[in-house]
Amino acid sequence: MLTGFRWIYLIAVVSVGLAALARTGTYYLLRYFVDDVLRQEGMLGLVPWVALGFIGLALLQGGLTFLSGRMAARTSEGLALRLRNFLYDHIQRLPFAYHDTMQTGELLQRATSDVDAVRRLFAEQVIGIGRITLLFLVNFVALLTLNVRLALYSVVVIPLVLLLSLYFFKKIGEAYQAYQEQEARLSTRLQENLTGVRVVKAFARQDYERQKFEQENREKFLRGRRLITMHGTYWPVTDILCGMQTLAGYYIGALMAINGTITPGTYLAYVGLVVQIIWPIRNLGRLVAQMSTGFVSFERLSQIIRVAREPLDQGRYAPPEGVQGDIRFEDVSFVYRREDGSGQNGTEPEAIPVLQGISFHAAPGQVVGILGSTGSGKTTLVNLLPRFYDYTGGRILLDGVELREYPRGYLRQQIGIVQQEPFLFSRTIRENITYGVGREVSDEEVEAAARAAAIHEVILGFPQGYDTLVGERGVTLSGGQKQRLTIARALLKDPRILILDDATSSVDTETDAAIRAALKGLMANRTTFIIAHRIQSVMDADLILVLDHGRIVQRGTHQELIAQPGIYREVYELQARIEEELEQEIDQAIHREERGAVASGESLERVKE
Amino acid sequence: MSDHYFEEEEFTTQFNGQTILRVARQGLRHWPYMLGFLATIGLVALADSYFTFLTKRIIDDGILAQDPETLRQLAIQYGLLIIAQAGMVFGFIWLAGTLGEKVQYDLRQQMFHRLQDLSLSYFDRTPIGWLMSRVTSDTQRVGELVSWGFLDVTWGVTNILAALGFMLFINWRLALIVLLMIPILVVAAEFKKKILVEYRQVRKLNSKITGAYNENITGVRVVKALRREEENLREFNQLTGEMYRAAFRAAWLSALFLPTVQLISAVAVGTIVWYGGWQFQLGNMTIGGIQAFISYITFMLWPIQEMARVYAEMQQSVASAERIFSLIDAVPEIQDRPGAVDPGSIRGEIVFENVDFYYDEAKPVLRNFNLRVKEGETIALVGPTGAGKSTIVNLVCRFYEPKRGSIRMAGRDYRELKLHAIQSRIGMVLQTPHLFSGTVAENIRYGRLDATDQEVVAAAKMAGAHEFIRNLEKGYETEVGEGGVLLSVGQKQLISLARAILAQPDIFIMDEATSSVDTLTEALIQKGMEVLLEGRTSFIIAHRLSTIKRADRILVIENGQVAEMGTHAELIRARGHYYQLYTKQFRDEMERERDPLFGVQPAVA
Repeated sequence: MLTGFRWIYLIAVVSVGLAALARTGTYYLLRYFVDDVLRQEGMLGLVPWVALGFIGLALLQGGLTFLSGRMAARTSEGLALRLRNFLYDHIQRLPFAYHDTMQTGELLQRATSDVDAVRRLFAEQVIGIGRITLLFLVNFVALLTLNVRLALYSVVVIPLVLLLSLYFFKKIGEAYQAYQEQEARLSTRLQENLTGVRVVKAFARQDYERQKFEQENREKFLRGRRLITMHGTYWPVTDILCGMQTLAGYYIGALMAINGTITPGTYLAYVGLVVQIIWPIRNLGRLVAQMSTGFVSFERLSQIIRVAREPLDQGRYAPPEGVQGDIRFEDVSFVYRREDGSGQNGTEPEAIPVLQGISFHAAPGQVVGILGSTGSGKTTLVNLLPRFYDYTGGRILLDGVELREYPRGYLRQQIGIVQQEPFLFSRTIRENITYGVGREVSDEEVEAAARAAAIHEVILGFPQGYDTLVGERGVTLSGGQKQRLTIARALLKDPRILILDDATSSVDTETDAAIRAALKGLMANRTTFIIAHRIQSVMDADLILVLDHGRIVQRGTHQELIAQPGIYREVYELQARIEEELEQEIDQAIHREERGAVASGESLERVKE
Repeated sequence: MSDHYFEEEEFTTQFNGQTILRVARQGLRHWPYMLGFLATIGLVALADSYFTFLTKRIIDDGILAQDPETLRQLAIQYGLLIIAQAGMVFGFIWLAGTLGEKVQYDLRQQMFHRLQDLSLSYFDRTPIGWLMSRVTSDTQRVGELVSWGFLDVTWGVTNILAALGFMLFINWRLALIVLLMIPILVVAAEFKKKILVEYRQVRKLNSKITGAYNENITGVRVVKALRREEENLREFNQLTGEMYRAAFRAAWLSALFLPTVQLISAVAVGTIVWYGGWQFQLGNMTIGGIQAFISYITFMLWPIQEMARVYAEMQQSVASAERIFSLIDAVPEIQDRPGAVDPGSIRGEIVFENVDFYYDEAKPVLRNFNLRVKEGETIALVGPTGAGKSTIVNLVCRFYEPKRGSIRMAGRDYRELKLHAIQSRIGMVLQTPHLFSGTVAENIRYGRLDATDQEVVAAAKMAGAHEFIRNLEKGYETEVGEGGVLLSVGQKQLISLARAILAQPDIFIMDEATSSVDTLTEALIQKGMEVLLEGRTSFIIAHRLSTIKRADRILVIENGQVAEMGTHAELIRARGHYYQLYTKQFRDEMERERDPLFGVQPAVA
C-alpha cells in the first residue's frame, strides 16, 4: 500500500530521530556553556558563539521537524487520496449483487471515516510513536554517556508508567465508547420525540416525555463524569510517579554534583534531558490505542477492496455501428446467490431460483410487455439484458450473438432505462438530462429532448431554468416530472433497446397523458420492454408475457390473450365487472336516500352496518 | 438520511458580549465548580512556575553552594509540591469536566422542555436535523467553552504572569529584554489562525467528498445503467485532488508552526545565554538563574500560541450558544390564556364559527368556515392529498388556532380552556403510525400511563391487535421502534388503535393509511375503529370507501376549501367532486382487492 511513499515516509521517520538528536545536542551545549565557558577563566569571548550555537541547533531541529512533518503529510495525504479514488471507483464497479446486500450507510462509513482513520494512522500515530520511542532512545543513550548510574536511576518508574498508560487508554477507550453510545441513545430519544410531536401533543404526554428524556440525559451526564473521573485519576497519578522520578534524579544528581562526581554543567544537561524521556511516555498508551483502531479500519477497507469488480470491457463482440435490437431468450434461467455482506465465505451462499425456462423472441422495433405481480421476476428478467446480473442457464442472443460476448459497458450504452421512481443527482437539470449520454450535447439538443419529453415548459418555470439544482438545495420534482426528465435523457442517449420499468403505473392522472405521449415518441423504432402490473400499460405491445413465480404462464398479443382463459382475461374482465358493480352501488346509494328520507333516524343504523 | 451529510455551516461571528455573559451565567449556576476549577488551575500554573524556581535554587543554593542540608530541604519542598499539585490537577480536571457535563445537561434539559411546549407551527418551520444539532453538537461546544475554554484562558494568563513575575524577581533587566519577544509571538499566533482557516477549508471539502460518495452509492444502479463510471471518477478525482492540495497545505503549514515557535524560543535562549553569561561574569546572575530563564521562556511559549486556537474555538462556541439561546427563547404561539379552565370533559357539540385559517397569509385555507358537529357524530374528510384535510384536524386538536372566528367546545370558545384539557382528551391514530422505542405494551400504555397490564391487553383485544402481538416472539414485551422488530404499517395502526382505545378519549381522530394493508389486517382495523367511533365525536381523514360510507357526514376538501358537505347519498346524487372521488376510489379498491397481479410474491432481486 505504501508503494511510492516508502522512501518519503522513511525520511519522515528518520528526521524525527535526527530532530531528537539535535534537541539532545542543545543540552550538551548547555553543559559546555556552564562547565567550560562560565566556570572557566577568560572564556568569556566564547559566549556569543554559544548563543549562536543554540540558535543553530534550534534551526537544525526545526528544519528536521518540519521536514518530517511535511513528508508524513505527503505520505498520509497521498495515501488518503489514493484510497479515496480507488474506493470510489471500486464501489461503482462492484456488481449489483454486492450492492443488494450492502447497506448504503455502512459503505459510506467505510469510505469516509475508515479512510480517515488510516490517514491518521500514518500522519499521527506511527510518527508519534516513532517520535516518543526515538526521543527516549536518543536521550537515554545521552544520559548514559553523562553518567551511567544516574541514567539508570532515572528510568525506574518508566515501565510502570508505560503499563499504566497502556491499561488506562484501553479502559478510557471503552468508557468513551459507552459515552458515545449514550449520546446515540439520547439522539434517538430526541429524534423520536420530534418526529412524533403530533402523538406527544395529541396524548398530552409532554411531562412523560420530559421524564424519559431526563433519564437518558442524566445517564449521559453520569457516563461523562465517569470519563472525567478516569482522566482525573490517571493524570495526577502519573504526575506523581513522573514527578517523584524526576525529583529523585534531581536529588541524586545534585548530591553527585556536590560530591564532584559530576560537574554542574552535566547536572544542568541532565535536568533538561531527563524531562524528555519521562513525561512523553504517558502519551504512548493513547497512541497505541488509536493505532489499533487504525488497524481495524484498515482491515475493514481491505474487505471491500478484496471483492472482485465487475469487468466492464471484457467481451469480444462490440460492433461500432451499434446493435439492431433483435433479442432472443432461449430457456433462460437465473438463480440468485445471496451473499452475506461480510464477504467471509463460511457457508455456501443461499441459492434462490428466480427465473426458469424463459423463451421468447423480440424483433428489432417490437414492443414486449411483461406483466406480473411484485416479485414475479419481471424486473430481474430485464436486468439480465444490460448484464446487471448474468443468467445462469440457457442463453440470450442479441442480434444472433450470445449476450456474454458483449462487453457490459458496451451493452449498457445500447440500452436505455426509464424507471418508475428515477434517481436524480443533486446537479442542475441540464446535467441530469445529459448525465451518462457520453458525448458533448448542445443546449438546443437538450431543449429539443425536453420538449419531446413534455418537460420543457415545466423547466422554464423554475427559477434558474435548466440551471436549477435538483434536490435538497434546489427544486423538488414530482414523480412524473422526474420520470419525464429521464425520458429526455433516454431520448438524447438514443439507444436501440429501451426498458420501461413500471414507468406508467403510479403517476398522477393529469400528467399521465403527457407521459404516455412522451413515451410513445421514445419507443418509436426501438426494441422496447414494458414492465407493468396493469393491463392498460401493455395492451398495445406486440408480445405480452405474463409472469408468475419466475415462469411465463401466458403469452401472446392482447387479442390472443383475451380470447383464452387465464390470468390475463380474468384481469381484463375484472374492469368491466367493477364498472357494473359501481353502477349498482350508486343506484343503491340514491335509492337508500329516498328510503332514508322517510325514516330520518336511520343514519345511526347505517353506522353499525 | 442524506441531510446528515449536509455541510454544517461554520459560524464565525464576532464575540457577542451578552451571549458570553449568558453562557457564563449557565456555568455560574454551579458556581462552586466554576470557582473551584478556576482556583485550582491558577494554583497549578503558579506551581509550575515555582517548580522552575525550585530547580534554580537547587542549583544555586544546593549544588554551587555545596550545601547538602539546603538541598535536602528543597527536595522535600519539591516532593510536597508534586503531591499538592497532583491533587490540584485532579481537582481541575474533575471540576471543570463535571461542570462541562452539568452545563450540557442543563442546556439539553432547557431545550427539551422548551421543545415540548412549542407549537406545531414551529416544527413545521424548523427541520428536525437543525434541532438535533442544537441539542447535540452545539451543546457540546458550549459545555466545552465553559469548562476547557475558560480553563485554557485562566491557565494561560496565570502561567504567563507567574513566569513573568519570577523572571522579574530573578533579574529584572533580562526579564524586560525577554519581554521584547512577546510581539514576535503574537505574529506566531496570527500564523496559527491562518492554519485554522486552512483546516476549515479541508473540512468543507471533506463534507463535499462525503456527499459525492453518498450520491454515488445510492445512485450506483443508475451510474451503471448509464455507464458513467469513467466520467464520475474523473469528477471525483478533481475533488479529491483539491482535497489533497488543501489538506497537504494545512498539514505542512502546521508542521512549520512548531519549528517557528521553537526558533523564536531559541533566539530567546540565545539572548539569555549571551546576556546572562555577561551578567554572570559581573556576578549579577547565577547559573541557576540562567537555567530558570531558559525554562520560563520555553514554558511561556505554549500558552501564547495556544491562545490562537482557544480564541477560534471560543468564536465557534459563542455562535453555538447563540443558536441554542434562540431555541430556548422561542415562544410557543399557542399557550394557556390567563384564567384558562379545565371543564373536566370536552364532550358535547363542537362548533366552528366563521373560522378563517391560513398557514401563509397569501394562501387562505379556510374562509368563513362553519360547522356544527353533534356529540357522537362521525365526520369523514376526503379529498386529494395536500388539499387541507389535516388542517381541520389540526384546528380541532388546537395544534393551530383559528386566525379569525372561533371554535367552541364544552360550550365555550376553546381558547378559554387549558391546552392540556383538550389534548389529553383526544385519541389520535396517524397515517404513518408513530411508535416509540420500547415494548409493545409500553407503546399501548402511552394512551394511559397508569393502565394495568390487564387493561393494556383488553385494549389490544378491542383493537384486534391481540392476536398478532401474541404471535410476536416476546408477545407484549417485544421491542419495537428503532432496533426492534419490523412491524407492517397495518400492525402499527392496530397498536396505535389500542393506544387510542386505552386513552378513552372524548374525541377520536384518525388519519387512515393510504398504502395497501392486507385484507385481514384491514378488517381488524375497521373493527378496532368501530369501537372508537361508538358514541364518540370523531374526525376521520378517510381513504377507504367503507369508512367514508359509514360516516354521518362527509366533507370534501379541495384546494383548501370545503367543496362539498353532506351524507354519502346526498353527495352521490349531487354528482360533483365526491361522485368523482368515489368512483375512482371504487375502481382502485376493487382492482387492488381482486387483481392477482397486485399481489406480492416473495421478492428476491
